[in-house]
Amino acid sequence: MGGVRLVVRTFSELCLTVGTLIVLFVVYVLYWTGVQAESASAGQIDTLQREWAAAPVAPPPPRPSSGPPASSPAPKAPAYTPGKGIAVMYVPRLGKDWKWPVLEGTGPGVLKKGLGHYAATARLGATGNFSVAGHRRTYGDPFKDFPRLRAGDAVVLTDGTTWFTYRIDRGPYRTVPTDVGVVAPVPKKSGFDGPGRYLTLTTCEPEWGSSHRLIVWAHLDGTQPVTDGRPQALDS
Amino acid sequence: MYGWIWRHLPGNAWVRALISIVLVLAVVYALFQYVFPWAEPLLPFNDVTVDGQ
Repeated sequence: MGGVRLVVRTFSELCLTVGTLIVLFVVYVLYWTGVQAESASAGQIDTLQREWAAAPVAPPPPRPSSGPPASSPAPKAPAYTPGKGIAVMYVPRLGKDWKWPVLEGTGPGVLKKGLGHYAATARLGATGNFSVAGHRRTYGDPFKDFPRLRAGDAVVLTDGTTWFTYRIDRGPYRTVPTDVGVVAPVPKKSGFDGPGRYLTLTTCEPEWGSSHRLIVWAHLDGTQPVTDGRPQALDS
Repeated sequence: MYGWIWRHLPGNAWVRALISIVLVLAVVYALFQYVFPWAEPLLPFNDVTVDGQ
């Protein structure tokens, strides 16, 4: 009799323990990663803004309107440093206060702190395809409302010297994870028919899964130096 | 299991309760600091890139 009691009791305690573990893990994934991402991304934005404030002279901003876009892959632009912040992104459609740092690289460690720039893709504002990945869920849910993006929505970025306003060209496009053509310099199926200054955002689909990806493409609509103030797209 | 731990803690009931709380907190801390960060990437929520893999 005593042996049976011991087995039943131990089994019950194990079940309780496993249940508690699962609840704690859910709390970690749904809540704690968001807390961590919030402080990490705020820290990244702080670091960027301090660097920008300390930068001596602003280099002249690129002018996409002058000259054919294909002629300007600036060869002397230094590569971004992996894991370091490169820009701050604003998407008014995703929220008035929605702002996230964009870091170089798309590894899991980078995506815990903000959005990640595909290292093999173009620099911000350059000819080619500036491609950015972000979490849809967990780690602050940056792209939670990704499906609400529509053609004409603004994606605004700043690198400390220039505001870049991109305009989304069509609603989210659903594809498979192996479809690397979506971040090509002229992405297939995007409707773009020649070289240009493009932007691609990627996140996971479905919301809590990983079987597919959601993509939006945008083109550079305009730039202005930060000294001219915030672009209109941010306040509309 | 928990009864065994309780019986092997020193002191009277109050001291044991206190030690138990400290133990529970230590376990939760270890989970959040080490175990969950290890386990979380095994979930699919990290796959947000197109990478051909």
